Amino acid sequence: MRREAWKSWGAWKNWALGAAASLLGGGSAWATPVNGGIDFQRPVTETAKRVQAFHTEVLIIITVITIFVTALLLWVMIRYNKKANPVPKKFSHNTMVEIIWTVAPVLILVWIAKGSFPLLYEQDVMFNGEQVEESEVVDIKVYGNMWYWDYTYNQNTDKEFIIESRMLKAGDEARPLKPERGDIGQLSVDNPMVAPVGRYVRLKISAKDVIHAWAMPQFALKVDAVPGRLNQLWFKVDEPGIYYGQCSELCGKDHSNMPIELRILPQAQYDQWLAAAQADPTNGGRAYLDSLPRPSATQVAAAQ
Amino acid sequence: MANEAKHAAGHDHSHDHAHDDHSHDPKWYSPARWLFSTNHKDIGTLYLIFAICAGIVGFVFSGFMRAELAEPGLQLFNGTAFGGFFGTEHNYNVITTMHGLIMIFFMVMPALIGGFGNWFVPLMIGAPDMAMPRMNNISFWLLPVSFFLLVMSMFVPGPPGGNGFGGGWVLYPPLSSTTGHPGLAMDLVIFSLHLAGMSSILGAINFIVTILNMRAPGMTLHKMPLFAWSVLVTAFLLVLALPVLAGALTMLLTDRNFGSKFFEVSGGGDPVMFQHLFWFFGHPEVYIMILPGFGIVSHVISTFSRKPVFGYLAMAYAMVAIGFIGFVVWAHHMYTVGMDVNLKAYFVAATMVIAVPTGVKIFSWIATMWGGSIEFKVPMLWAIGFIFLFTVGGVTGVVLANAGVDHSLHDTYYVVAHFHYVLSLGAVFTLFCGWYYWFEKMFGIKYNGFIGGLHFWLMFIGSNLIFFPQHFLGLQGMPRRYVNYADAFYEWHHWSTIGYWVAAAATIVFFIGLLEAFVRRRKGEANPWGEGATTLEWTLPSPPPFHQYNDLPRVR
Amino acid sequence: MAGDVKHDYHLVKPSPWPLLASLAMLTMVLGTAGSMKGLFFIEQGNWWGPVPGFIALVFVLIGWWGDVLKESRGGDHTEVVQISLRYGMVLFIASEVMFFVAWFWEFFEMAIFHTLRANPAHSDLANPAVAPLLTWNEWPVGQVDGHAVKPFDPFHLPLINTLILLLSGTTVTWAHHALQVNDRKGAITGLVLTIILGLSFTALQVVEYMEAGFSYGGSLYGSAFFMATGFHGAHVVIGTLFLMVCLGRLLAGGMKPQKHLGFEFAAWYWHFVDVVWLFLFAFVYVTPHLVWGSGAPGLGH
Ligand code: HEA
Ligand code: HEA
Ligand code: CUA
Ligand SMILES: [Cu+2]
Repeated sequence: MRREAWKSWGAWKNWALGAAASLLGGGSAWATPVNGGIDFQRPVTETAKRVQAFHTEVLIIITVITIFVTALLLWVMIRYNKKANPVPKKFSHNTMVEIIWTVAPVLILVWIAKGSFPLLYEQDVMFNGEQVEESEVVDIKVYGNMWYWDYTYNQNTDKEFIIESRMLKAGDEARPLKPERGDIGQLSVDNPMVAPVGRYVRLKISAKDVIHAWAMPQFALKVDAVPGRLNQLWFKVDEPGIYYGQCSELCGKDHSNMPIELRILPQAQYDQWLAAAQADPTNGGRAYLDSLPRPSATQVAAAQ
Repeated sequence: MANEAKHAAGHDHSHDHAHDDHSHDPKWYSPARWLFSTNHKDIGTLYLIFAICAGIVGFVFSGFMRAELAEPGLQLFNGTAFGGFFGTEHNYNVITTMHGLIMIFFMVMPALIGGFGNWFVPLMIGAPDMAMPRMNNISFWLLPVSFFLLVMSMFVPGPPGGNGFGGGWVLYPPLSSTTGHPGLAMDLVIFSLHLAGMSSILGAINFIVTILNMRAPGMTLHKMPLFAWSVLVTAFLLVLALPVLAGALTMLLTDRNFGSKFFEVSGGGDPVMFQHLFWFFGHPEVYIMILPGFGIVSHVISTFSRKPVFGYLAMAYAMVAIGFIGFVVWAHHMYTVGMDVNLKAYFVAATMVIAVPTGVKIFSWIATMWGGSIEFKVPMLWAIGFIFLFTVGGVTGVVLANAGVDHSLHDTYYVVAHFHYVLSLGAVFTLFCGWYYWFEKMFGIKYNGFIGGLHFWLMFIGSNLIFFPQHFLGLQGMPRRYVNYADAFYEWHHWSTIGYWVAAAATIVFFIGLLEAFVRRRKGEANPWGEGATTLEWTLPSPPPFHQYNDLPRVR
Repeated sequence: MAGDVKHDYHLVKPSPWPLLASLAMLTMVLGTAGSMKGLFFIEQGNWWGPVPGFIALVFVLIGWWGDVLKESRGGDHTEVVQISLRYGMVLFIASEVMFFVAWFWEFFEMAIFHTLRANPAHSDLANPAVAPLLTWNEWPVGQVDGHAVKPFDPFHLPLINTLILLLSGTTVTWAHHALQVNDRKGAITGLVLTIILGLSFTALQVVEYMEAGFSYGGSLYGSAFFMATGFHGAHVVIGTLFLMVCLGRLLAGGMKPQKHLGFEFAAWYWHFVDVVWLFLFAFVYVTPHLVWGSGAPGLGH
């Protein structure tokens, strides 16, 4: 079935569009990975946008370096092959060029580092160093398990509840994949993680058995869930939508079957979801989400 | 060096004991010659044969992975395909793990260090053999034993309900401790790596001693061929890095079997500590795999450009620098474990520094060709291919070095693409480069140049097709070690698998070429490459006599 | 052809020992695996598993090193070969040093960062698997059985052991110098003293182990302590055996004033073991004691 798909024009068109879209700097309307895409998934947080911009810059630098090396190679192959240059020269030193090709890379690397460090600190320092009232922060506790994620909301309050998030599978009785609902194979889960739009969200991440990693490509986030350790992440998204990530540390047999689905809702809806999920952590949240119109790709794009 | 003087002095007064039993060379079919060998060339050959066998296994395993990943869904590892031969998703992890370990410990290292190192370090420095020939032999024999344990691990219980160890070649606990793999499989993997490590340490000691103490009179370190330099640096990395891995493996073993708490959270241990120990070994390990290749490429480039190596000293000390810096960058594999941000910043800076000495090497190779009179013989094709591909792999390493970006790319196919460009298209290209360069010298017969060229071009096209699209997959977020993926990753995986078939064709061509050469047995010359080939091995007949340099060569 | 060889390097005859040693190690390792998990006919928990392989290995090594001795007496160990052997031994010791680096690293990580990891601020790790961690906010630490670790007072047995090892370092040097001036009696006396000191060190270490106020599997502290000092102890035992072999050879009339590599290597090894101990003493015993006193503060079990 796949085999036919790739032969069809569809795949090629997708590829061309995906390539064009990502090359044009993310005007694409897809929220998921794109078949044939050649760049990052569309970034949706400020940090992720900066990460992508920085990556593009480094990509240009390394492309130029590679082209430069290739050009030199081609040149010597053409100019100094046996036919073109029957008698080899005998030199084996030239202090000037040696200094140049030591110093030039150093300068390039310093330039790269100049862009790299601020980005690193922006990601790693909570809220990018901004002072945020504790009450403003949404805290979610994330645990990796073999092989599903669980999310604790309102931790250490009397409203604390835990939802378990498992992958949907086509043909699975307990957790069927419903493409008509917009579910995506290997990415959609029964109980998505939910967070409000436009607020600082702080994740505290750990694991209960082996190491997992919580990743959210469109936010440029990834951190390991290590048993006995508590790692932190933060993000602030201004765009409601559905975002997908996948467990990114080998954790055994079903490592590829514990995706992360993150639903970003406007505050009012988020509050309603919280109430529904707290009342019934197994089904309440999902039922509420199903009652919402699903943000279409164009809506997501428009919200940008 | 102080011993230089002694050297020359020792050389003159000949003595008359214990050497009479070498009077006639053993026949090639004598079992004792191979099983009990104390001859560096025979042991080198054993290593090469072993590496080819292991290479085939690693290659077939990568085929299983590519076949599985050709399409979304489960093709092979679904419990039913081919009568359930391939088992479940867990077995995909086992195959991936074994592929990584086999390619690294049983293919690249034995071939480049054990094989070419053994063959050509003594020949190049003008020594009659390795310093400790018998220890050389145990370095070899520990490998098949170790390989046996690794293969055996695939058939004994690993995780509950499965066989084999499927925790990745990096062996992270708790997946590799009793939590993830309570069964015997992991213990066998640990023992296997203990023995492989022991083999490498002994081999490395042997190389260092040989190089420091057995150079021909007149060959100072600064006149020593670059391949010998590269093996010297590599051997130091091995001696200093592998014992740390041995320690980490021992901790894992006692955690699993004797109740210690090194990586057990319940007793205050920390799984991340294992990662530090592992990568303290693991990062030098990647340079261990590439440095001998650097050495080979230097010779090949100089030989076929008919020009001395450009910036010889800078080339030698660039390798020393790479070796040094290689020890202080390990945590760039661990940017996502939750390290302190300042620590990350340090590792970013340190890692990027390595690009500088590596750049010196790349540019010096090109400068060697500059002004030369280049002949595109088969080894030269592999060498030039290597320079290009290694640059591609190297610069993506620089991208990964930036922790801010690595947060996105870590554990995605971008990393897989990076390290295959430096390994499968880097180290392996140097491996074939050396293979074709020295084939005639080692076996005394000529290979067929056309087949060699075909092998190169198919491999060049195939492996680029396999691994270039994986950059795209990685950027799009496709995680590593996934047996199954979302439809959206289909396109590039598909191309990658097609590339595999091209590489497979290349590998078949390689074996055809081997067969052809050994069937036709065209007589080899002492120096088929002409005036460009200046190192000592070309002064000997092909193949060299069982014992060379009974009268030590003197270097001006 | 004998006359053709115009160099002093040692071209060793083909030898069965390497292959046999590998096979012995395979047997030993498979036997250990059997003891640990059950394999073939070896049942789990039957600790005889590694024994056959070990015995085989010992025989192989006797054969191997016996050959080395024969070759040495036969004159194969020319000056240049001796240099090789010396380099080899130095590098072997260097690799051993790196092995200990792993254990010290583990110890330092625990000692320095433990409090950080078990920070009470993280105590909302409401996870049954890591719950014991919650009692870990002080160092030295609690054990899984709920008891606190009671570290040793470094200035009792450990100090005595330090003095013993330092003394043994001097006696082995004495023996070496005596041998060099062909004072065989002095050499034997020095060596015997060294061996006795080595044995007393091991004996005291056994006593100390029996009195430990913490257990091997009780906590990371216990594991790190016992593995670091244990590997050191194993090296002491090996070093003592090495010295005993030298003593035997000395008594049998071997070892010449101008050439006694075996003795030198044993002495180097012994010094290495000595230095490792000094590090253990300084960092594993004394520093924690100075910083935290003995007994775990705040843990009153
Ligand atoms: C032969 C093996 C080899 C080599 C040589 C390298 C070389 C380098 N590697 Fe690679 N690496 C691996 C094998 C190797 N690597 C493996 C196996 C892994 C994955 C392990 C696993 O997780 O399973 C890995 C992973 C890996 C990571 C971790 C990624 C992750 O898991 O998230 C990083 C991050 O920093 C990295 C960086 C680098 C860098 C900076 C170099 C540098 O040494 C490259 C230097 C070379 C160049 C830069 C090109 C030539 C230079 C010039 C032309 C000069 C001008 C250039 C500039 C100014 C940029 N590597
Ligand atoms: C040297 C190392 C090496 C080499 C050569 C290769 C070669 C190949 N690898 Fe390898 N690979 C790794 C090291 C290597 N790999 C490692 C370390 C991992 C990570 C494992 C982990 O996640 O834990 C990995 C993971 C890995 C993955 C990711 C799996 C996953 O994450 O799910 C994939 C997927 O496509 C893959 C594919 C391939 C393919 C198609 C080749 C092809 O290039 C194969 C073509 C064949 C050859 C190039 C070999 C031919 C050689 C000989 C026959 C010997 C010749 C010998 C002499 C002449 C002496 N590899
Ligand atoms: Cu959980 Cu991978
Ligand atoms: Cu690295």
